[in-house]
Amino acid sequence: MSVIFYKEPQLKNSIMLCGWPGIGNIGISAIDTLREMLHAEEFAQIEPWDFFNPRKVLIEDGLLKDLEFPKSTFYFQRVKNQDLLFFIGQQQPAEAGTRYAEGQKAYEMAELVLDVAEKFGCWRVYTSGAAVTQIHHTIRPRVWAVPNSPNLVDELQEYENTILMSAAEAGEGQGMITGLNGLLLGVAKKRQLEAVCLMGEIPYYLQAAPWPYPKASKSVMEVLAKILNIEIDFGGIDRLAERVDKTITQFLETLYNAEGIPPQVKEQIEALRYARETRLGPITDEEQKRIMEHIDELFKGEDFDDEKRV
Amino acid sequence: MTKNAYKFSARPELQNPAMIVGWDHDAGKLSPRVLEYLNRRLNVEGFCRIEPERFFSLGGVAIEHDIAVFPESRFYYSRNYNVILFKSTEPQFEQHGFLNAILDVAQQYCKVKELFTVNAVIAGIAHTGSRVISAVFNQQALLRKFHNSELTNMTWQGPAAVSSYLLWLAGKRGIPAVSLWTKVPFYLAGVEDFPAIEKTLRFLGRTLNLDLDLKELDDQVRLQNEKIEHLRAQDTEIDNSIASLEGGFELSEQQQMDLIKRVAKTLEKPGR
Repeated sequence: MSVIFYKEPQLKNSIMLCGWPGIGNIGISAIDTLREMLHAEEFAQIEPWDFFNPRKVLIEDGLLKDLEFPKSTFYFQRVKNQDLLFFIGQQQPAEAGTRYAEGQKAYEMAELVLDVAEKFGCWRVYTSGAAVTQIHHTIRPRVWAVPNSPNLVDELQEYENTILMSAAEAGEGQGMITGLNGLLLGVAKKRQLEAVCLMGEIPYYLQAAPWPYPKASKSVMEVLAKILNIEIDFGGIDRLAERVDKTITQFLETLYNAEGIPPQVKEQIEALRYARETRLGPITDEEQKRIMEHIDELFKGEDFDDEKRV
Repeated sequence: MTKNAYKFSARPELQNPAMIVGWDHDAGKLSPRVLEYLNRRLNVEGFCRIEPERFFSLGGVAIEHDIAVFPESRFYYSRNYNVILFKSTEPQFEQHGFLNAILDVAQQYCKVKELFTVNAVIAGIAHTGSRVISAVFNQQALLRKFHNSELTNMTWQGPAAVSSYLLWLAGKRGIPAVSLWTKVPFYLAGVEDFPAIEKTLRFLGRTLNLDLDLKELDDQVRLQNEKIEHLRAQDTEIDNSIASLEGGFELSEQQQMDLIKRVAKTLEKPGR
């Protein structure tokens, strides 16, 4: 279990930005898009063997050519005298049957990522994910910011369109960040390393949808641009967000027209269109289950090939 | 990572044996039945096992066909035929560590010369057709060795099976290895596909000079075919579906489901 370095960049006082797949791929899209825009250079990888099984095999005319594992890659770049480290994980090291990282493997991965951060003089780490909430997809998502130290609260409150947990829905400052986005904050805290998780809002009715949610990724990128004091061209992500918006609208129309969707669920979703603060009342487990069943039905067959393994 | 993952109960003297790897769950029950058949016919003895605690959930035991089962990962050897068998449940966790434990025993202790994995691949074919064995090799030299055999070379890109992972790791260690993928008609995937089991055993018997008496299996093949022929004679829809497959046509999802259910029900009945 180790990190393979191709280069030893000379970095100091660096900031690390980490992205993993998750709901709507909000975090990884934001961080990876930023990495691409800044032309960050790859310099290290975490060996995959102890964390992941191969996800793809390539066999040509009887010869096993290669196995492909999920990559966990480090990049670096200097922007305006600020050294940046990026970590992009193509998969979270989940135990069998779980979607997000937890347990010993996740902890070991978090430790390895922070070993690299500290090796290159990192003083702050940002992770990014999704905040599932009752908003409509036509509304600009806010960014929920969770620091691992009270010293960071004042700074985070200065960023536009950014809220702390205490200002979010429940208003009690309580919650849970699942997977490595959350675990990394905890492990960093143990090392007395500053860390912040930036979570873009996503409508609850899209949390199981198989498409990305670029509108929330953009919100996260806007905050990061402010933090890093850089200009970002959002043209590409705006166009993607527009296409996804259209897909969502079509998806909802299909959902509304399908038999078995309770009219009150449609009313609840549509009410969100007009006011963020609308108190909608609880959605029952049964209603939620029926929504998810229809999502499953709509996308049935997409993973059909996964049934065959060689 | 593989330290203490395995435990020897005996230290037989081996002379660069071939090794056959099979898994407990497979379409047409091909892999477990091939390994069980070899276990019986080759008069093998167990000599090593991989300890389960790192690789399997041990929160209880599973129950299959009324019987409590526990993951077993055991090596056997046949003194007469210089063959090692490894039969196991596929690991739930730490595949890398588990597969390296197999290869540690195979390479460091047994000095295995060639490794075979036995697997089924579900296909849209009729049971009356031939069971083709597709092969995947981890070395060009081994591929050339089997060039004129009955094996067909596979081409595939997609999700990786544990056998492919084992093959890849064996290749990294320089152990020549081949995965055998015998085609099983989709409607026999949930039951025993005796022709596929027999075909695989015949190939292994010829390749490794194993003196295998397959008469018992021949009888099972005959009985299974008779039962399905009887079903075809009684049920026109099933007959048409199988005839379509024989003609190389695809079936609708509903036709496939009907065929699977009716054939399974027919084969469950004891006797002729």
